[in-house]
Amino acid sequence: MSSDKVVTVLGGGSWGTALAHVMAVSGAKVLLWMRSDDRVAEVNEQHTNSRYLKDKKIHPDVVATADLERAAKFAETIIVAIPSANFRSVAYELGDFVTGDQVLVSATKGFEAEHLTRMSDLLREETCCRKIGAISGPNLADEVMENMPTATVVASPYHEVIEKTAALLAGPTMRVYGNHDLVGVEVHGALKNIVAIAAGAAAGMNLGQNSMAMLLTRGLAEISRFAEALGADRMTALGLAGLGDLIATCNSPLSRNNSLGRKLAEGKTLTQAQAESIKVAEGVNTTFAAAKHASRLGVDMPITRGIHKVLFENAKPHEVLAGLMSRANRYEHTEVQIDAPSLVEGSVVETALAVAARERGW
Amino acid sequence: MQNTLRDAAIVELRSRVLEACIMQSRLPDGMPLDVLVNDTLYHEKKRLEIDRKSPTRDADLAFWSSVKAKLGRGSGEDVRNLLGQIIGRFADEIRGNFSPTLYNVATRVMPKALPMLLNAMSPRRLLQRGIPDIADTIVIQGQVDALRKMSQKGTIILTPTHVSNLDSPVIGWAIYAMGLPAFTYGAGLNLFSNPMMALFMRNLGAYRVDRMKTAPLYKDVLKEYATVSLEMGNHNLFFPAGTRVRSGKIEQRLKLGLMSSGLKAYVNNLLHKKEQPNIYIVPCTLNYYLVLEAETLIEDHLQREGKSRYIITDDESYLMRKILQFTQNLINLEARITVHVGDPIDPFGNRVDPETGASLDRHGREVDIVKYVTDRKGVPVHLPQRDRVYTAEAGEAVAREFLRHNVVVATQLTAFTLWEILKRRHPEQDLYRLVRTGDEGFGVAASLLTEKVLAVWQALAARAERGELHLESGVVAGGDAAAIVRTALRHFGTYHTHPVMVRKGDRVFCEDMKLLHYYSNRLRGYGLEKELDQVLRSEVAA
Repeated sequence: MSSDKVVTVLGGGSWGTALAHVMAVSGAKVLLWMRSDDRVAEVNEQHTNSRYLKDKKIHPDVVATADLERAAKFAETIIVAIPSANFRSVAYELGDFVTGDQVLVSATKGFEAEHLTRMSDLLREETCCRKIGAISGPNLADEVMENMPTATVVASPYHEVIEKTAALLAGPTMRVYGNHDLVGVEVHGALKNIVAIAAGAAAGMNLGQNSMAMLLTRGLAEISRFAEALGADRMTALGLAGLGDLIATCNSPLSRNNSLGRKLAEGKTLTQAQAESIKVAEGVNTTFAAAKHASRLGVDMPITRGIHKVLFENAKPHEVLAGLMSRANRYEHTEVQIDAPSLVEGSVVETALAVAARERGW
Repeated sequence: MQNTLRDAAIVELRSRVLEACIMQSRLPDGMPLDVLVNDTLYHEKKRLEIDRKSPTRDADLAFWSSVKAKLGRGSGEDVRNLLGQIIGRFADEIRGNFSPTLYNVATRVMPKALPMLLNAMSPRRLLQRGIPDIADTIVIQGQVDALRKMSQKGTIILTPTHVSNLDSPVIGWAIYAMGLPAFTYGAGLNLFSNPMMALFMRNLGAYRVDRMKTAPLYKDVLKEYATVSLEMGNHNLFFPAGTRVRSGKIEQRLKLGLMSSGLKAYVNNLLHKKEQPNIYIVPCTLNYYLVLEAETLIEDHLQREGKSRYIITDDESYLMRKILQFTQNLINLEARITVHVGDPIDPFGNRVDPETGASLDRHGREVDIVKYVTDRKGVPVHLPQRDRVYTAEAGEAVAREFLRHNVVVATQLTAFTLWEILKRRHPEQDLYRLVRTGDEGFGVAASLLTEKVLAVWQALAARAERGELHLESGVVAGGDAAAIVRTALRHFGTYHTHPVMVRKGDRVFCEDMKLLHYYSNRLRGYGLEKELDQVLRSEVAA
C-alpha cells in the first residue's frame, strides 16, 4: 500500500465519480469502486460515466474496479460515496478488508432513518476503523466535473483525517477547509436536502426571490436548531457545510432534490417524480428521518413537516405553503409567539403590571 | 509491586518529565525552564496560603523558599537541576509506601476486621452469631473469570463507579477476594486523613493525589506516574467519575486522565517491544442499598446544580459514629454490596475476547489494534490529539458499560417509582420546588405503590433480558413487587437522619424528598420515565 496521493473512492454515482475526478486532477492515483462491471469497463475504456454524468470526461488517472477487497487495500484513505440506503451494507462488507490505520471519509449526505444514524457512525459501527470523517459543502457534482472552482469542508475529530483528506482534495479548483464539528457538518449536509426540495417546489410555483430568501433563512434556522439538539456547534450553520451548501443546492436546478421539488410543484406525486430520475434524491429519506425525530428532540421544524406532508401524506404544495404562511407570528430567534409573550417579567410587581396592561389591550 | 521496581519507576519518571520539560522549552512557543519553575513556585505558594492544615506545610514552605532563592541566581544548568529536584519531590510525594507484607496482612485481617468493627458495639450479637464474614456482605459477580484471565494477558485498569468513600476499601477487598495481586491506585489525600479509611488505604497499593496542588507540572508528574506504573505491569484502579457522583446517577461524563495514561503506556509498551503490551480497561459497578454519604452528596448536588465542589471534608464518611451505624445496618439487615465486574475493553473502546485477549469489532471480527497507533511505516507513534479522541471513545465505551452492568436493588427501584409518581402528581412544580415542598404529607397507597413498582420492574426485567442492565439476585430478580417494597422500606427506615420513606397504615410517605430523588436517580438513562409515563401518571389502581 503506497501512500503518496493514493485514494480509493467507493461508489460510482455522480458525486463519487466527480470526487474521484477532482482528486485525479490534483495529482492523486484514484481507484473508483462500483458494482456494475459494464460501468467499470466504461470508466476504464472511455473515461466517462454516462449513466450519471453524460459525456463528461473523467481524468484518466481514475481507474475503476468492481473488486471491493482490492479497493479497500489500495489506499490508506477511502472516501465513501454510497447512497444512504445502501451505505451500511457496503460499510459492513468493507469491514472485512480494512485495518485500523486507514482513514474513512463519508461523502454521503443523509441519515439512516430509524435511529438518525449519521453516515460516519455507520462507518464506525460496521468497521474497525476509528480515523473517520466526512466531507460536505457546496459541491454540485456536475460543476465539479466541469472544473469550476469551489470549496469543501473536511470534518473529523482527528487532525490526521483532516490533514490527509485535505491533501488529497485540494487542487486548482478545490479549496479545503477543516472543521472538528463532525456532527454539525454531517447534519447540515443531510438536512439541507429538505430545504432544497422546498426550494425546488417554491421555484416550480414561481414564488419569486423574496419567498426563496425567506425559505432559505427560515430553513437554515430550523436545521441549525435540529443540529444543535444533536450536539453540533452553532457556528457550523454559517459555514460552507451549512449556509454554503444550502445556497448551492437551493439555487441550482442541477440539484436532484431541487428538481424533485419542482416536479412536486407540477403536481406529480413522489412516486411519479422519483420514476423520472435515476439519481437518488437523499432529501426524501432525510425528510422522513428528521420529521420522525424532531419531536423526540423537542425541535420545531415547520418546513420539514410541510415537506413531509407533501411527500408522504399527499398534501399539495400550495396547501402546505398556505399553512406555513398562516402560522402565528414569532420572534426570530426565540420562536416565542409575538401575540403570546411570556407572562413573567422581571419581578413580581412588573409581572402584575404587564398582565394588567395586556388585559387593557395596551 | 516490588520496591526495587518502584525505585526504577521513579528514576524513569523523573527523567521522562524532565526531558519533556527541556524539549518543549526549546520550541519557539515553549515555556522557558525558569518560567516553568516560577510558575510551579507560584501555584505552590498560592496553595500553601490556603492549605494551612497540610502536615508537610513547614517542610514545603522551606523547600519553596529555597527554590525561590536559587531561581534568580542560577545558570541554565542550575535551573535544570532545580527543576529535577521539584519533579523528584512531587514524584516522592505521590509515591505511596506500599509493602507487600503489609498488604498480605491487611487483606487477611480485613475480612474479619471490617465486620468486627461494624459489630464492635454489640458484643451480644457477636456472641450470638459469631463474627460475620465480609464475604457475606460484599457480593462479587459478573465477568470475574474474564478479569482474572485478562490480568494474565496484559495490564488491567479497573474503573469502578464511584458513589462513596467506602468504594475504595470495598473494591480493595474485592480485588483481594478475586485472587488478584494488589492494584495501584491514586487516592485523594483527604482519604488518608480519615483514620478509618487510611487504615485500609495505605496498605492497598495507593499512591497519593493531592487535589490542592494545582501546578500543571504536578499534574504532569501525576499522569506520568500512572503511565510508568502501567508500563511496569502494575494493574491500576481508577475512578473515572473523578470524584464521588453527587446526584446518585450513573456517571456518564467521565474524566479520562488515567485512561489516557493507559493508551500512552500501551504505545510505550509497543515501542519497547514488551512481550505483553496490552492494556485492558475493565469497568465495574458498585451497588449499594444505602449510600453512606447520600445526604451530603445530594445536598451538594442540588445546591450547585451538579457542579461538584471538589472536596467535601466534612461528610458522613468522616464521622466514626455514622460509619459504625452504616456498617451495623449492613450486617443487621443483611444488606449486600454488589460488585459487578463488566466486560473488558481495550484503550480504544473495542470489546476484548477474554479467551484470546484480542480486540473485536462490533461484528466479532478480530481487530489489529497496533494499526491504530502506527505511522505510515508501521512504527508506533504518540499523537496527542489523535490519542485524546481515542481516549474519549474509550470513555464513552466505559460509560455504556456502566449502564449495562448496573445492578438494580430494591431501594433504587422503589425510590424511582415513588419519585416518578410524586413528580407527576405535582406537574406544576420544578425539581427544586418539589424537593423543598415535598408531597405535603399526602403519601401514596401502599397497594398503588406496589402496583407501580411491578410496572417499573417489568420494564426493567425486559431491559435485563436484553442485556441492558442487571437485577439484583434475590428479591429484585424474584419480581415480587410487595417483597421489593418491603425490603426497600426496611432499609430506608434505618440509618439516614430521616427515613427516605415510611409506611403508616396503608399508605407510604416520603420523609426526605432529596434522598428519594438521590436514590431514584440511579435508574436514569434507561428511558424508563418516557416509556412508563402513562402508567406512573395514573394514580387509579388498575
